[in-house]
Amino acid sequence: MGLSDEIVGAAQEELRKYPSSVGEEFQRAVRMMEETVPPAQLEEWVKEGLSLTRLTVRSWEAASEFFRVSPTVVRGRSYTTFQEWTRWGNVLCQDSPTMAVAYFRASPGVVDEIDAEHIPTWASVGRGLYKGTWKSTALAGRFFEASPGLLRSLSFQELLRFTKIIDMLSHRSYDLAVECIGLARDTFPRLSGDRDAFISLLSALGEGNWRQVKGAFEVGSRALQKVERVQGPRFLRLAQKVAQADTADLPAFLTEASDALGELDRHTHATVLGMAEVLVDLAPGTVVEFIKSCPIVLRRINDQQLALWFREGIRLLRETEDGGMAYFKVESAHSEEMLDLISSGVELDRVKDILRLYCLALAGIEMDIAVTQELVGKDIGWVSKAHATTEGTTVFLPPVVDQYPTKEENFTWYKVVSTHQVAHLEFGSFDFRFDRPATLFEDLRLSLAPVERKPKGPGAAAGNGSQATKDQQAWITDVSHFFDLFEDRKLILDIFTVVEDARLDYLVKADYPGIRDSYRKVQQGALKARPSVEGLPAREALMEFLVQWSLGAEEGLMVPQEYAEEVRALARIASTLLAPRARVEDTAEAALRIYEVLSRIPNREADDWEEVEAGGEDAEGAEPPKEMNESGAGASPPEAQPRDEQAYRSPQDVDYRGDFKPELTQLLAQLRMLQEQANLPGAAPPQGLGKEQLEELLARSAELEIPTADGQIPMGAGLFANNLLREAGVSNPQSPDYPSHLFVHSDEEHGALEVTEPQTYLYDEWDFRAGDYKPRWCMVREKALPEGEVTFYQTTLQNYAGLISRVQRQFELVLPEAFRKIKRLPDGEEFDLDAVIEAIVDRRVGSSPSDKLYWRRNKVIRDVAVVFLLDMSASTAEAIEDHRRRAEDWDAPEDPGEYMVWLRARRAQGLRRSYKRIIDVEKESTVLLIRALETIGDTYGIYGFSGYGRENVEFFVIKDILEPFGERIMRRIDKIAPLHATRMGPAIRHATRKLARLDAKTKILFLISDGRPQDRGYSREGVEKEYAVHDTKMAMAEARRMDITPFCLTVDRSGHDYLKTMMSDMGYEVLDDITQLPERLPYLYRKLTV
Amino acid sequence: MTGQTTKLYKEYLIEEFGVTEEPFYVPIGDEIELFEAAYAQKLPVLFKGPTGCGKTRFIEYMAWRLRHSSARVAGDGDGLLDNRLALITIACHEDLTSSDLVGRYLLEHDSTRWIDGPLTRAVKVGAICYLDEIVEARKDTTVLIHPLTDHRRILPIEKQGILLQAHEDFLLVISYNPGYQSALKDLKQSTRQRFVSIEFDYPPRELEAKIVEHESGVDADAAMALAKVGEKVRNLRDHGLQEGASTRLLIYAGKLIAQGISPRRACQVAVTWAVTDDHQVHRSIEEVVSSIFPA
Repeated sequence: MGLSDEIVGAAQEELRKYPSSVGEEFQRAVRMMEETVPPAQLEEWVKEGLSLTRLTVRSWEAASEFFRVSPTVVRGRSYTTFQEWTRWGNVLCQDSPTMAVAYFRASPGVVDEIDAEHIPTWASVGRGLYKGTWKSTALAGRFFEASPGLLRSLSFQELLRFTKIIDMLSHRSYDLAVECIGLARDTFPRLSGDRDAFISLLSALGEGNWRQVKGAFEVGSRALQKVERVQGPRFLRLAQKVAQADTADLPAFLTEASDALGELDRHTHATVLGMAEVLVDLAPGTVVEFIKSCPIVLRRINDQQLALWFREGIRLLRETEDGGMAYFKVESAHSEEMLDLISSGVELDRVKDILRLYCLALAGIEMDIAVTQELVGKDIGWVSKAHATTEGTTVFLPPVVDQYPTKEENFTWYKVVSTHQVAHLEFGSFDFRFDRPATLFEDLRLSLAPVERKPKGPGAAAGNGSQATKDQQAWITDVSHFFDLFEDRKLILDIFTVVEDARLDYLVKADYPGIRDSYRKVQQGALKARPSVEGLPAREALMEFLVQWSLGAEEGLMVPQEYAEEVRALARIASTLLAPRARVEDTAEAALRIYEVLSRIPNREADDWEEVEAGGEDAEGAEPPKEMNESGAGASPPEAQPRDEQAYRSPQDVDYRGDFKPELTQLLAQLRMLQEQANLPGAAPPQGLGKEQLEELLARSAELEIPTADGQIPMGAGLFANNLLREAGVSNPQSPDYPSHLFVHSDEEHGALEVTEPQTYLYDEWDFRAGDYKPRWCMVREKALPEGEVTFYQTTLQNYAGLISRVQRQFELVLPEAFRKIKRLPDGEEFDLDAVIEAIVDRRVGSSPSDKLYWRRNKVIRDVAVVFLLDMSASTAEAIEDHRRRAEDWDAPEDPGEYMVWLRARRAQGLRRSYKRIIDVEKESTVLLIRALETIGDTYGIYGFSGYGRENVEFFVIKDILEPFGERIMRRIDKIAPLHATRMGPAIRHATRKLARLDAKTKILFLISDGRPQDRGYSREGVEKEYAVHDTKMAMAEARRMDITPFCLTVDRSGHDYLKTMMSDMGYEVLDDITQLPERLPYLYRKLTV
Repeated sequence: MTGQTTKLYKEYLIEEFGVTEEPFYVPIGDEIELFEAAYAQKLPVLFKGPTGCGKTRFIEYMAWRLRHSSARVAGDGDGLLDNRLALITIACHEDLTSSDLVGRYLLEHDSTRWIDGPLTRAVKVGAICYLDEIVEARKDTTVLIHPLTDHRRILPIEKQGILLQAHEDFLLVISYNPGYQSALKDLKQSTRQRFVSIEFDYPPRELEAKIVEHESGVDADAAMALAKVGEKVRNLRDHGLQEGASTRLLIYAGKLIAQGISPRRACQVAVTWAVTDDHQVHRSIEEVVSSIFPA
């Protein structure tokens, strides 16, 4: 076969007009074509090629590419297909040679992936992207170029659908479309089974949301990896529905929802998505919130219970969308209640107050309840987060209990645990006195000498022998003193712990019959979790036996046969302790005796085991083995250590008993006591409060599990010592007295806050759209205003001398009104003569006389308590003149960074001022008011408030309610200054809380403001100012419910519009002329209280 | 039917009412000796103590005891019937006026008639006058008793224009509860410094158990448990409770138990709900109760 040289030569001749590469490609191709294509068709091919070359000026490039790929394309295909392919190349080249180049170049990759009949479709679709412009050429080119890659992960149909999306995008932006093709090539291979759904999702975005397509590509694959694999398409269909609701931001949805799902157990994805599918038909906007809440919610309830919670949300959603939204965000009180109702677990937070009072009642001393993490966080030696414990003043409990199927049982667990912890206090575990006699045992400990021991490390106190020990004496607690009697401190601590816990359990069950059953149940639960005694090395086995015996195990306990006698001795000693009279000193004596037994048992594997009865042993002959009296417990040296002896390991903790650390607790108590003494005025600084001694002491304690690397003084000891000292209040951290403006910003979007510092308080906020409170939403930080100069107070008194005396006179007039003679009473001091005469007259004329014949001096005791709340927002920095002109508005930037800049600029302006500001008038009025209030003797408090964001509501004390008036208060007034924004709700709630605690007949909350409430995030979705107004209104209403009369005075002349809503039926006044404030304020107050 | 009606109640003149049965009283300290000494010297006495700890019971007991001992000294068995050492109790309230204590004119036909107030009667017949919760009375009323409490022992009756010199047996006793009154209702120094003060508190657990057992008729174990409840609830004073559970309440609970009410329920109605309205505190106390009493 072969084409006639003539044709080839002619073609070559013609191609010589073009760059040489074309000819070369042609020659190479011809040779290859000859092998597969019959001459007639080959000739046709040459013709086609030549016509392609001639087509336009630049079409030689396409032709060159055509020649190059032809041999590959033609192989294994029918010639008609090849012809069709060639024809399309020609068509494309007529449009744009560049496009044709891309077409030809991509062809070898594409024809392998698609059926022959699809080739024209592919070409025509690509051509469809070409709109005759330069940019569209590039796009179509890019499409052909990417096709082989795309087709490796997409089916042809999918490619077509994808191309439609690209086409749609190209109407908007060619650049974006080009970019998306690139992204798609990277993304699709990673989507595996989800491709189809993903493409549908993209198509659904539609014209309206074309911008999001790129974002969807960017986050898509990462998002889908977090979703359970088989649920991927479902997730995408959901996203599609969400996207169709036009407000949704698809990339954000994909990211947030998948992140949330990623936090969940994969098997719950189906459930959650199922619910989301229901939700999406009702309110697409809530879907993302719902999914985002799931991780939080599912921490408290299981996935079956989730359905209940969800159903309630749907019900609410049908009522109001906002309510449902808040519900699914878990930002409504109702939502939390519902969760609480459904979950069987009990959160410590919810029952903390109940338990606190319960513990307080049992212990009789001030107790606090805290989460275990808090103690661990203090780093003073307690490390277990899971176990309950107490350090003498606080009972630490795990944050959530969900061990049992019902709430009651879980709560009972808390109760049992707290009872046990409080028992430490009630029955005096920490009250160990070394020299107080025991009641049940002979006091052997008094006759023992402490063991000489080497310090753990060669470091700190090794050298300076006797001096160091002397210093320590002051430090040694009674418990340490006792432990020092023993060689093996760890062993004695373990024994002491078990025995003491057994004593407490016994006493609790004896003293509190009501809790006995639950107590047993918890004990049994703990028993189940114990390791088997059998198989442990001998000493540990006996220790474990003791633990299980103390938990009430009665039978089936295996012990090593060779030590059966010792076990019986242990049981005897321990049972002796179980008597109502047992004191902690008895525990010590019992521990001492048990130590004597255990320390003699080598800790090695035992061969034969036998069962013993643990319970029911009669408590006789609890005397220790004779030899002990002579040798002393500590002196018994371990006999020649057999080779197979293992290091002794403490038994694992019993969860309800927790971390018992008598030595540390006593130490802490001692430190606190020393500190209190030191804090007394005139006391000398306490002796021996040295960190070194403390470190040394801690290093010896077996209660600390400090990693002791290489026999060094443990790294942690110094740290612990420091922390202990701090905990005991020894080092006083400098308290910053000027309110710091370092704001803490929590995520505005999500979640309730938690109190972390003293003097901070949490309040709910009212969401009027949802019709429910956002729980623990705002944090109020209370601080005293710093003190300035007295001059301001004095100058004001001088400037307003006239007004002051006038106001004072008016107030003095109020007082005598208190003694009024009230007439015509049925009973009283004396007859009212007029009434008596009338009565007699009545009787004479035969009509029935009135029996109201007495008068009485009614002493109305004026009993008024009032709180003034001053608005210290930035807007009060305005000049009075300015204020008259403009309708005030809060134009501060939302971003915290920008805000600080804005604030500084604003402050700087203020410094240069020579005019009078609103705040100055407020200050002056305060001075006047104080004068008036002091005259009349009412109880009053003056506070300022400001803040920025819900987590920084600042509440400044100018005069606390019960604080007597004095120079400090005059000084504070000087420092009243414009600060930040006005979040009124929490400030009002905090003031209400202060007032509610007072016992007064009339309570008034007087709010002085200069504008509507506003703050960062004090609105719904950032726009609705009504939100702030309604929250403030609700705060006022709450105050009124507590019998407090709220009143609002504003100097904002445009105030009528919102005050009408805010104060509705409560009192308010809008002051047109702010200069009237000093005069008006005392007047209003007087009116309000009479 | 006869026209006769039987009185189902007893009527006494104020000064005729005396304590005839020996009241049950368990002394906690030396209060009996103190009171007897004060009475011998006619020193007015002030009882301080929380509500329901036995102040009123103590004064009843002392009235009975003094009356008996004086009767014995006189060797006159019928002496019990005279009015000496009657106990006149006046519960003070914030509208108590001086006329309520001293007396007032009443209208009768076309004239007026004077009637003595309880204080006047006590002064006249030589009774023990017990002003309960004195701080509740208005301060101007309280001043009225001042001349009765010092060496003068007189009661001026302005409206009649007379001065009454008190009977030699007359003794003024007042009580108040320093716990829950606010600063506004504190007793004035000029008043409080005219009295010998005896402080009362709830009895220790064992004694209280004895009292509860006697008064309510429950068995010793239940009484002990009730006393324990009392002790624990009192630990909550100032932490959600203004006052602890009084002995009186424990006795009420005991009486209910004696009538067959379950102990938990009895404590709920007689103790928990009685001491506070705070729901949280209710829960806490109920937990304490349920720890002590098995269901």
